This record gives sequence, C-alpha cells and structure tokens, in this order.
Amino acid sequence: MLIIDALLQGILMGLLFALVALGLTIIFGVMDIVNFAHGEFLMLGMYTVYWTSLFLNIDPLLALPASAIMGILLGLASYYCFIRYLLRGPAIAQLFGTFGLMLFLQYFAMFLFKTDYRMVEKGLLVGKSLSVGPFIFDWTKIAAGLLSLISFIVVFYFINMTKTGKALQATALNKEAASYMGIKTDRMNALAWAIGGGTVGVAGGLLVNFYYAYPMVGILFVMIAFACVALGGFGSIKGVFFAGLLIGILEMVFPVFGQLVGSDFLGPHFKVTIIYLAYFIIVVVRPQGLFGWRQ
Amino acid sequence: MKSHRWILMFFLVFMGSLLILPCAFADEKEIKIGVLYPLSGAAAAIGRDLQRAAELTADIINNGAPGVDIPMAQWKGIPNLGGAKIKLIFADHRGEPDRGADLAKRLILDDKVVGLMGAYHSSVTKTVSAVAERYGIPMINDSSTSPALTQRGFKWFWRATPHDEMFNKDLFELLKGLTEGKVKGVKAVPKKELQNLAYACENTEFGSSVAKSIENYAKEYGFNIVTKLLYSANAPDLTSEAKALVAAKPDAMLFTSYLSDALLMIRTLKGMKAQTKFFWGQDAGFEMADFAKTLGTDIDGVLTRTVFIAKVTKVKKVAGQINAIYKKKYGDDLTGATARSVVGVQTWAYALNQAKSTDPKAIQKACNELNIPAQELVMPWAGVKFDETGQNILGRGLIGQYQKKSDGKIDLEIVYPFELATANFIYPFPGWK
Amino acid sequence: MEAIKDALNFSDFSRAERISLIIFSLFLLIFPLLGAGSFTKTVMIQFLLFSLFGMGWNTIGGYGGQVELGKAQYVGIGAYTVALMMVWWKIPFWFSMPVGVLIALGYSFIIGYPLFRLKGHYFAIATICTSLVLKDIFDNWTLVGAAKGIELPIHEHPDFVYMQFKSDTYYYYFIMVLFYIGLFYMNWFRKSKLGYQLRMIKDDEDAAESLGIDIRWCKIKAYSIASAFVAVGGGFMAVYNLYIDPTSVMELSLSIKIALMAMLGGAASLWGPIIGAAFLVPLDRFLGSWLGGYKGLIGVDFMIYAALIMVVSAYQPRGIWGIIEQLRKRGS
Repeated sequence: MLIIDALLQGILMGLLFALVALGLTIIFGVMDIVNFAHGEFLMLGMYTVYWTSLFLNIDPLLALPASAIMGILLGLASYYCFIRYLLRGPAIAQLFGTFGLMLFLQYFAMFLFKTDYRMVEKGLLVGKSLSVGPFIFDWTKIAAGLLSLISFIVVFYFINMTKTGKALQATALNKEAASYMGIKTDRMNALAWAIGGGTVGVAGGLLVNFYYAYPMVGILFVMIAFACVALGGFGSIKGVFFAGLLIGILEMVFPVFGQLVGSDFLGPHFKVTIIYLAYFIIVVVRPQGLFGWRQ
Repeated sequence: MKSHRWILMFFLVFMGSLLILPCAFADEKEIKIGVLYPLSGAAAAIGRDLQRAAELTADIINNGAPGVDIPMAQWKGIPNLGGAKIKLIFADHRGEPDRGADLAKRLILDDKVVGLMGAYHSSVTKTVSAVAERYGIPMINDSSTSPALTQRGFKWFWRATPHDEMFNKDLFELLKGLTEGKVKGVKAVPKKELQNLAYACENTEFGSSVAKSIENYAKEYGFNIVTKLLYSANAPDLTSEAKALVAAKPDAMLFTSYLSDALLMIRTLKGMKAQTKFFWGQDAGFEMADFAKTLGTDIDGVLTRTVFIAKVTKVKKVAGQINAIYKKKYGDDLTGATARSVVGVQTWAYALNQAKSTDPKAIQKACNELNIPAQELVMPWAGVKFDETGQNILGRGLIGQYQKKSDGKIDLEIVYPFELATANFIYPFPGWK
Repeated sequence: MEAIKDALNFSDFSRAERISLIIFSLFLLIFPLLGAGSFTKTVMIQFLLFSLFGMGWNTIGGYGGQVELGKAQYVGIGAYTVALMMVWWKIPFWFSMPVGVLIALGYSFIIGYPLFRLKGHYFAIATICTSLVLKDIFDNWTLVGAAKGIELPIHEHPDFVYMQFKSDTYYYYFIMVLFYIGLFYMNWFRKSKLGYQLRMIKDDEDAAESLGIDIRWCKIKAYSIASAFVAVGGGFMAVYNLYIDPTSVMELSLSIKIALMAMLGGAASLWGPIIGAAFLVPLDRFLGSWLGGYKGLIGVDFMIYAALIMVVSAYQPRGIWGIIEQLRKRGS
C-alpha cells in the first residue's frame, strides 16, 4: 500500500521533473549546450507567478501564461544577447558561460527580491487535498502533474507534427545539412531557447503552488533535470519523459523502501542522493542514456 | 620587448592591486569590535537584521537613550574607559567557514579590533573562534546554539545564548508540565496520552545534534520515540517524510527545521490533514517572522522554542523600551535572533566597562567574572554569567505558541516558562480541517 | 634526473614569459616582507591554493579536454584523511597527507574506471553526481562527524609536525613551496609522453586510438594525477582552517570554482590556472569584503563576478591567457 501510494506521488512529481528537463534537452539537442542557468529560469518563472497572482489578485494557476511569456522572453534575450557569442567556443567555455549566467540571474534575483522565502498563500487549490480511499493527494500537485503532461504533449506535438518543429529536429540532427535545406539555423536556435524558457517558466509557475520561491532554488531542480536529461539520453524528448518519471518515482519510493527495511541509514535524507547514484550506475551500463541516439 | 609588454603589464597590475591596502585610522576614543554576520549569500536577510540590532545597541551605548531604564542607556560611552565609544566593524562571511576565518584575521590584525562578536552560523563560529583563540582575542558569541561550541575548552570564547540542549530540556519540561497539570489553562494530561513522540530533523549539524539530544532526554523523562526521521532540507518535496510521520500516529511531533523546509513540511502535513496533539519546532524556521506571515492561520497551535517573543515586552519593562526604539527605527519587533544580538553588544559593553582596559587579558578576566543582572537585559533571563566553559548559565529559553485570535490574526504567546505564560495553552493541537 | 631537468626547463617560453616568471617568483618570495595586511595575506594563500587546484584540474580538464566537475570530492578526501588521522590517532601531517593522496589516487582509479566509459556531457554530469553522492554520504556518516564536521585540536605554535602556526606567514611559505612543486611538475607533465598523448586525445580521439594510444587508460591516469593534486590542497585546507565539514570541502560550488578558475585563466596552458586564480580569488574576496557590508547591495558583488565570467567566456573562450596572447599578436 505504501509503495503504491509512493508510486502515484512519484508519478505526479516525475511529470513535473520531466517538464523542467524538457527545455534543457531541446536546447541541448539543437545546439549541444548544457544550460546551467536553466534552474534560474525556473526560479524566475516561480517569482513571476508569485508576483502576478499577488498584484493582480488572481489565482496562481491563471498567472501561468505570464510565466510562460516571461520564460520565452528570457530565453530569447539570453540567446540573442549572450549564448550566440558563446557558441564559437569549445564545450567547456560554453558550460562556464551558462554557469556565469546562472550566477548572474541568481544574484540579480537576490538583489531584486531579497532572500525571503515566498510561498503562494491564496489560491483555488492551495492547501486543498483529494482523498481517494486510503490515498491523499494535494490538488496543487495533481494540477502540476496534469498541466505538465499537457504542456509536454503540446510541445511534443509541435515538434513532431508542425513544419517548424520538423525544421527544429532537422537542425538538431545535422546543422549543416539543415542550413543547405534553407533552414535558418540561427532562428532555430532562438526557437529552441524560446521553447526551453517557456516550458521551464510554466514548470516554475506550477511548482510555486506548493514550493517556495527563493533566489537559490534553481540549483536543486537543475541538478535533477541534468540527471533526467542525461538519463534519457541528451536531446531525446521521449527519453526525458521516461527519465523524469523514473526519477520522480525513485525519489518517492526510496524512503518508503528504507522505512520498510527499517534502516536508519537508508532514510529519506538520501532520497536525492539516490537519483545521482542511479544516474551514475545506469549511464555506466548504458553510456548513451536510456533513449540516446548518438554519442 | 615592446611586443611582450602585455604579459608584464598583467603581472604588474596584479601585484600592484594586492599592495593597495586598506588603511586603518586609529582613534583612541574608539573601541573597535569586529562583528561577523552573513550579510550576503543565503542567510543575508537574517544577517542584515542582526546587523541593525547590533548597530542600534551600540548607538544606545554611545549616545544614550532617554527612557530606557538601565544604567547602560545613560553611559554615553564606556564610563570606565573615559567615555570611549564602541565602534562595530562589520564583516560579511556569507555563511562560509573559511571566509569567516580569513575575515577574523583581517579584523584582528588589520583593523586591530579589541574583540569579536558573531557569527550566527555555528560552523562559522567554529573557525572564527579558533582564530580568536590562537591570537588570544576575546570573542563573545551571541547567537550560535550548537552545544559543541562551549565544549572545546577555549579560553577566549564566551556564549551569551543558551544552547540547543538547554532548549530541548525546556521542551521536555513542558511535556512533563502538561502531564502534571502545571501548564496554564490545561488540566493534567495522563502521561500515556503523550507517551509516543516522533521527530523529524533536518540532517545538517543543527538538526542531527538536536535529534540526538531529544533521544537522550526522551529516555531521561520516560517518553517513547516511535519515529525518527532525518531529512535533507534541500529536497524537492517532503511528501514521503510527512507520510512517515502521519503513518506513525504519534502523540507529539517534534521538528528541527530551517525556514524553507519548515514551510514545506507544514504545507505538506496540512495537505495530509495530519493529526497529533502536540506540535513543536526547534527555532530556526519556526520562529522567523516569515513563517507566520506566509502560513497565516495554518499554524494555530504550533509551538516554537525561542529566546525572545514580542510578548516579553509586556512582562519586562526594558524589553518593551528597547523594542519600541527598534520598532520605531526599523518597523519590526525584535525577534529571538535580533534580541540576542542586542544582548551580545550589551555583554561586550559590560565586559569592557568592568575590564577598565582594552587589554585582552583584562577583558578575559572581566568576562569570567561578569555578572549582568536580570533586570538590565531585554531577555527574560536570570542574567548573564559565564561558567568555566564560557557558557552563560543564567540564560534560558522560551516556548511560544502561535494562537489564532478572535480577529483572525496569529499571535505568538509565551507558554513556557510557566510563570511567564501570557495565554492559555491550546491543547490538543487543533490540526487542519 | 632527466625529469628534474625537464621540470626546471622553461626555455621553450618566450623571453617575456620567463622574465615575468622570475619577477613573479621574487614577488611571491618577498611578499610577506612587504608589510601587506593580514587579509591580503589570506587572499594570497587562497590564490596559491586555488592555483594548485587549478593546475591539478588542468591535467584532465585542460590538456585532456574532459569537462571534469567533481574535483571537490578529492579535496574532501585529502582534508578528511588529514583531519581524521590527527583527531583519532594523532598522526602527524607529514604522514597523513601522503596517505590522503594515496587514498585519493586509489579512489580515483575505482571511480575513474567506470567514469571514462562516458563521453562529453554524460561524463560531465556523472562527475558532478559522484562528487555529490560522496558529499551526501559524508554528510550523514556519524563516524566521520557527519554534517557536524571535524575540528582539529589547536596546538601551540609553531608546530612543524602537525603544521599548525599562529602566523599566516608560515602557511604562506608552506603553500608556496607546494605551489612551486606543482608548477615544476606541470612543466614536466606538459612535455611528458602522457601530456602529448592527452593533447592528441583532445584533438581527435579516433586518430589517437589508431596510433595505438590506450585512450581510457590515459584519461584515468590524468584524472588520478589531478585527484592527487587537489588532495594535497585538501590536506592543507584541513590544517589551515582547523575545521572542515562536508559543505566547505565537498560542495559542488568548490568543484566548479576549481574548474572555472583554470578555464577562465586559460585551459591547457601552464599559466592559465595561475592567472585564473590571480584574477578570481582577489576579485571574490575583495569584492565581498568591500561591498558585502553595504546596505541595499545584496548580491551586487556576485553579479559583477558573474558578469566577468560571462564576458570572458563569450569574448575569448580560451580565457584570459587567450586574451593576452591575442593582444600580444596584435602588438607585434
């Protein structure tokens, strides 16, 4: 019973993790960059929803479009003002460039919002829960899981079914060939950043319903997102979905497992550690991740 | 040669920049005390509050404050040192122990401070006090509560605040008081109704040492611990932890949390409609103003250990007077953390006054013999008097309870010590509907 | 003998570089006599320490071209070995530090073997993961003090057996000696067989493999050398700070800082890590020390710091050393 309960909770969290990681994997697929600042996009998405719902006095869920727009704009701004110049360098310079961006956004947020923890106080779903038999779920988490799933499907549809989406995929597979076909790769890169920023902005907006916003909140989620992306195979959208679910479930089931075994050492304090460990073990066995199609 | 100028230039600029030294102007009429607080980084908000409280206290000592009924407020400087003013030099350690140690060296050797105060984080206090010990410079700690700090046999370290173990003892005294009917407004509760405890502590030094001491006291006072949880405060959610707590159906839930995880934990427990009779938090998160502000009426009945509650001002005149000045200047009430900062600076002033000199040896002697009477403190303590380990033995903690008032607002009332209680205890914990 | 000669031979550098090195060495040697404040001295110690870390990272990250972001775990191993052996058995620093290095070497082989099955970003993320796993274990392992960390007993100074001094000048010269050993070693390393093999691997793995180079073994060796370097630094940190906890010696930010300094200075060059540390350490410390206390400026010092990282990595991916070389070419 405990395990089933943890499983269901894990799926809800996993869907959200997958949405956080989605943008990261798209950006990676199109231009081979690991974006350290992704977690800060999430953090700014959280703040956007927090402030919008507070000032306009609307439900935090209705403020989601604001965080999506903020994410898209932020993605485009980072691409055109910074990432474009970064692309000339080797992978390691890119990594540290985005790391610099991460630090900058973190402390910019701290400068603007100070270090207070902010939590959405009012809202349609905030603090309410649904009881189904022996199980009890927060409505905010159910909403987050379902809306993540919907956003995921929308993006998936966009990439696989529309012309622009296919052009994006072509760019990801082979940049040169794509540019011979008349695809403007610069635009595609910008599009990837827009989608990446938008999805993670939405994820932030969903997260703030039950998690606190804080200038440093991004690093934890970006580490989990890294593990999701790498586990699923860099650039694989299908991969990131299943990896997200897997990680969400693992994070929930592990403490229950420790409890059943009755070990103090395997307590919940290792539940994030186990994600990293699982990543390491899985990737060593399968170096291209679960769904990776290339090295 | 000309073409290689750039390399040479680079090195010269680098070396030159290191030699530009901050000059220190010595003023004989000033006594410099180095204060280390986390003024930026993750704990910046609290660090800034501490800084304000310390500055305010120094201002009261230096310039006097009419209407505050303690001798210190009429001093206008340190009387036994010819009215010398106290000057606080703040340094920002960001919560990093090694940065704290470096800054302590800067304060001692470059700024030539007479002594140190700080550093809020127990880990930073450890390195800073080690530096002070090496250089034989007195350090008075105002707000680090790790019991280990005064168990090291240091000769130059004094702590004004009670430490975590004393706070845990308070908790068990309160539990015992409940079973004996000593608590205001509650009839004696049969002990078997409060027998089973469960704790969830975050797994850094703070939480894990509290967890250990809770276990010891539980044994001593004859309680039973049914669930022990150490969790990582830095987790994406706390559902599984909360589930484990709820599943154990304990009579009392005990927490040690920072603010972020305290918020998350209460939200999660509320989502599960958790039920228990007694809900206690060991300071840090539970005591901060943001805790009540963010969670609103959700925390009706939650207990928190602290050292200062705004309600103290009703029981203690001095506290009310200093709190009024603080509130007028900054708009907030004093909290447990900031009030300790006030006492920290005050202890420094008394120690200097008694030492009649800024010589470290004299201050050391003065600190060991120091005895600040209870009526001169903002704290509801029996005074400040250090034992041979440097711990203030007259300090004590408070336990406060958040109570929903008739106007729908949440107020923190004192429920322990029993003689200071300002309201009836709410028992059992009302829980969430 | 040949190796020592090689290590001391800087003749393939330009004259300006050699002159700079001599001036710089003289400066380091007489620095404590210049009357600088003690805070400046602590900054110099941090600078030398991070140069040492950076030089270590440079073997695998610079010459080998592998994005390695998990060096903090070896800092931790070095620091914890020294601290624990001193607290448990009162073993002198001079014995415990080499033991720490050996443990770091052994551990790096164990971790390195599976790790180097991975390439590119998979590798980068995996290095972060291993480091975080070790940190979390230390955070919860009561035997090694868990999150409480370990405090070293303070000895009467000066104590050359346990390397404890009151004055930072001793520490300064000690870390300076370590720094020069590191520098000479790196000077030898870049000209050694492994050094050339690594650069070949970095340029083109397939070509290197066709020449019969055992790529994985080369990478593991470089990784272990890097680990040994940072473990030495870790041991120094333990006796210098007298207090270590997992957060201060094993944090992810430390790993990133190590790699960042080397990369920002200029990866795969002898001077890169030194320049990077000379640039970032004073920037970080002085900015924090000056701006940190001002009201209303929370985070501004870090924003400046971050903006500089961004500008350098976008403008010249080869780092500050790349900028210097570029200017040099323009000048000549």
